[in-house]
Amino acid sequence: MYSKDAGIIAMKEKYIQILGIAMTLVYGVFVIFLYAAEPRSLEEIPSKAIETVQNAATKGTVITGTYEIDQPRFNEGLAAFRQNNFILARDAFAKADPERRDAKTQYYIAYSFYRQGWGRLTNDDALFKQALESLERVNFIDKNFRSDDADLQLRTPAELKNELEEGLRVTADDFNPLKVLRERK
Amino acid sequence: MNEVLQKPETVDGELVDSAGREIVLPDSSAVSREVQHTNNALYLRYLLLPFIFLTVALLGGLRIAGEDGAFVFFRPALVCLIFAAILLVLFARAGVLQTDGWFSESSPPLKNVANGFVVATLFAAATQVFNSLLPEQGLPFWIVAFCFFWTLWNNLFADFDARKLFRSLGGLFGLAFVAKYLVLANLTAPAGRTWFEALTENPGQEAITRLLDLPRYSGATGYIQFFAVALFLLGLYLFPATTNIQDRAGNLNGPLTRS
Repeated sequence: MYSKDAGIIAMKEKYIQILGIAMTLVYGVFVIFLYAAEPRSLEEIPSKAIETVQNAATKGTVITGTYEIDQPRFNEGLAAFRQNNFILARDAFAKADPERRDAKTQYYIAYSFYRQGWGRLTNDDALFKQALESLERVNFIDKNFRSDDADLQLRTPAELKNELEEGLRVTADDFNPLKVLRERK
Repeated sequence: MNEVLQKPETVDGELVDSAGREIVLPDSSAVSREVQHTNNALYLRYLLLPFIFLTVALLGGLRIAGEDGAFVFFRPALVCLIFAAILLVLFARAGVLQTDGWFSESSPPLKNVANGFVVATLFAAATQVFNSLLPEQGLPFWIVAFCFFWTLWNNLFADFDARKLFRSLGGLFGLAFVAKYLVLANLTAPAGRTWFEALTENPGQEAITRLLDLPRYSGATGYIQFFAVALFLLGLYLFPATTNIQDRAGNLNGPLTRS
């Protein structure tokens, strides 16, 4: 009888341990999720959970090497870019490439900052600086990147970077009245 | 006699071993009580304790914003992790957590893993309790953190048993709770007031809030944190020093019964 009971306890101990590990994992992941997602109310928890799952899925595609940009969103961004609606374009590009791993998309983002910040008399320095930051990402992803878009006059990061740095620098040339005749690239 | 042999649990005579010594079998009710006892210990150790500690981990960083009542999940500072590690060392020194009673080469791997999870939840809960009791930022954070560090550091070199450690921790946590959720909370100006209102209604409170960089949380935060700290202390009370069957009596009685 003693050994029979000991056997039951050992069996039960195993199941309780497995159940305990599973419960701890599930509850622990829930706690970590709450601190990572920071929902502001109970109602926000489901939407934050969906967002977290989507982010995790995207990270999974990056890890497995199957990451691809969202092509319809990219096309949407490109259409907005061609219509000079740069804010909408950047929003669509950012959604198309949430992991910021596609050189082409990041180049369009940099270019949208340039075109939005370009002015006939003065440039917007803040936007030009953001363009330079985006360009750094392009160089990081693909050092030999070259755009195939005929609409863009500056096809490489180096050309765009030069244009941006020229725009940020204050020189005597900036006071040349003929400057108003130049065109945006 | 044949019937007795077929049913070994039916004993109608004296049992002796090969050396002629009498074997005394416990009565069946005592055995079933023992089984029940062991089962309860298992449920406590692997289900109830992780649940308690993870609930503390969940609530320890939860604050309620004063202005709109939104949840604010405040992540623990690095110093909270250090304090929690020191606390676990103190537990080991005081015998609240006997490392060889929780992790052993002679135990099955599953048991060691399950025990590891329980201890991990204890660490998480300890971290969050410090997160709960330390002021969030500014000068009060550094003052209270220093007091915690001073006390824990001194305790590391003191002669301890479980009872003394619990008294010391109760005093430490109680004082820190009063300092943060009664004293500092009462010095904090309420949120959602305009500059003019703040200056005309209670300029002193507004000045102290800005000077000490006190966050403006709702009063509900104090209630939640009181519950979290109390739950942590309850979890510690229920925490067995060892998981070995031989020390089961010690397991079920909780740390306060140990000398």
